[in-house]
Amino acid sequence: MVTAEAPPYTLLVIEDEIEITRAVGAALREQHPAIVEASGGKAGLDAIKSSRPDIIILDLGLPDIDGLEVCRRIRAITDAPIVVLTARHGESDTVALLNAGADDYITKPFSTQELAARVAAQLRRAATPRRAPVSMNADGLSIDLHLRTVKRGPMVIRLTPIEWEILAVLVSDPGRVFTHQQMFTAVWKRAYGDARLYLRVHVTNLRRKIERDPADPHLIITEPGVGYRFIGES
Amino acid sequence: MTPKSSRYVEWLLWLSVIVAATYVMRSSRGNIEQSHAAFVYILIVLGATAGGERWLGVFVAVLGFLAINYYFQPPFDTLTVNTPLDLLALIAFLTTALVANHLLTRARTEAERATRHAEEIEHLSAEIRRAEALREASRMKDVLLLSVSHDLRTPLTTIRALAQDIQTDGSRARTHAGVIVEQADRLGKMVADVLDLSRLRGGAFTMNTEVNTAEDLLGAAVRQFGGIADAKRIETVIDYTRPALLGTFDFVLSLRVLTNLIENALRYSPPSTAVTVSVTETGSNLSFQILDRGPGVPVSEQQQIFEPFYRPNGAPPDAGAAGLGLSIAKRLAEVQGGSVSYADRPGGGSVFTFELPAAAQELVETLT
Repeated sequence: MVTAEAPPYTLLVIEDEIEITRAVGAALREQHPAIVEASGGKAGLDAIKSSRPDIIILDLGLPDIDGLEVCRRIRAITDAPIVVLTARHGESDTVALLNAGADDYITKPFSTQELAARVAAQLRRAATPRRAPVSMNADGLSIDLHLRTVKRGPMVIRLTPIEWEILAVLVSDPGRVFTHQQMFTAVWKRAYGDARLYLRVHVTNLRRKIERDPADPHLIITEPGVGYRFIGES
Repeated sequence: MTPKSSRYVEWLLWLSVIVAATYVMRSSRGNIEQSHAAFVYILIVLGATAGGERWLGVFVAVLGFLAINYYFQPPFDTLTVNTPLDLLALIAFLTTALVANHLLTRARTEAERATRHAEEIEHLSAEIRRAEALREASRMKDVLLLSVSHDLRTPLTTIRALAQDIQTDGSRARTHAGVIVEQADRLGKMVADVLDLSRLRGGAFTMNTEVNTAEDLLGAAVRQFGGIADAKRIETVIDYTRPALLGTFDFVLSLRVLTNLIENALRYSPPSTAVTVSVTETGSNLSFQILDRGPGVPVSEQQQIFEPFYRPNGAPPDAGAAGLGLSIAKRLAEVQGGSVSYADRPGGGSVFTFELPAAAQELVETLT
């Protein structure tokens, strides 16, 4: 990872297990020497006010305040990205935290490279102005959000209006995980209803059109039990 | 009412019945014959025996005998018996009443005994079932202990030894670290497996059953293997000319099933061979098939492969897992109304079939 010119960031780790805090520190300290540690929700909220972190790594199960509540209170103070540490895949609590404004999650036990990569991605996202890219290239696919066209090489790919909406939402924030609820709120402009079922069918159809191998997707990634994420892997 | 007082009521009731019947018949003595009265008394004896008990029936029979003699057999209003034929009639009545009383009592006793036996048998079989469940639990515990002591200790020993070596002499740190990470991952997977198995057995599993597409599941499963060398061996077969296949299942649990089956196929087949994963719709099910060119499963072991801690005969003890993958897969499929089964693959190898309920047809039509 090239972070030579990156400004010095302050990281806050809110975690009650000292060993996990140590592991997170070991994974990130080399690139980000300024790491503030808090062993509970209350201490974490105080630390946000005193040290103004650029990114927050939040454990889902804190002893003093419920994770969801901590997340809400953090969002009331700062827009700094929140990466949630969770114990199991597709946990409903994780989804609730993402819906409440957390930016990403990582499942324990995590690899240090993966954690470092997630943190770097979130810092990059936070540093770039929140404006949807006008066009992008990913895995041989070129997407022009302004002209509303998708091409693979010279071939124009025809999408239905809903498929286009789904792609546009995902591409608007590459790398970000969108929960099912966030997706259908963005695409169908309503929070509930059958949209959830339709979403999965449309994503499947969209993959058949844009992925090289729809059974091994490299553009729209399923986050099991959580939602979808657009990544421009090649 | 206590049983004792209800018994008095019973006796009083039948006493009043016999007195009332005698009174009614006595008042129309001119119109009825001795045999009519005898039939009425027999009926009362039967009623008393059926509703009450043996001695009540006998008591009523004796009363009937006396009443016939006194009221309905000439000479009336005396216990004198005139002819031998009259005596025979009285004895016939008493015999009939007592035999009927005896038979009825016996039948009832036997019925009661049968009910009691049935209850005892039911009780005993419940005991047996409980004992079997306990034995099974204890067997599981034994196997679990054995597995924990061996399978979990092996990576722990390795990790400890290598870390200690780094502590004394840092020169091999880098090579050791790779093995430590690998062994820690293996340990983590085993812990997750054991946890899943115990949660499945304890029934503490939350399910999130929703309509999902088969392709989404298959793609997510293939992605789990991204980055490992074996990933290239996975081939997928999907009919893209047909609309997306929809099923009703828990995505996360089903992903675990499919991942376990693919992992199993990769582990037990030669590195140069492909593992094919296909999905089709068969009747009211989605049918995922995982085909490999491994040794297959001998007929003698086909029943055991879904048992916890099963390992193929002759497989090295450190094949990399605790032998829980298939048993977890099968249980996770079953809690969702699906199944996992094995078949020999023509030409050699295994076919594991993982079925999940397909989505209702009406839904499929509105969605695709």
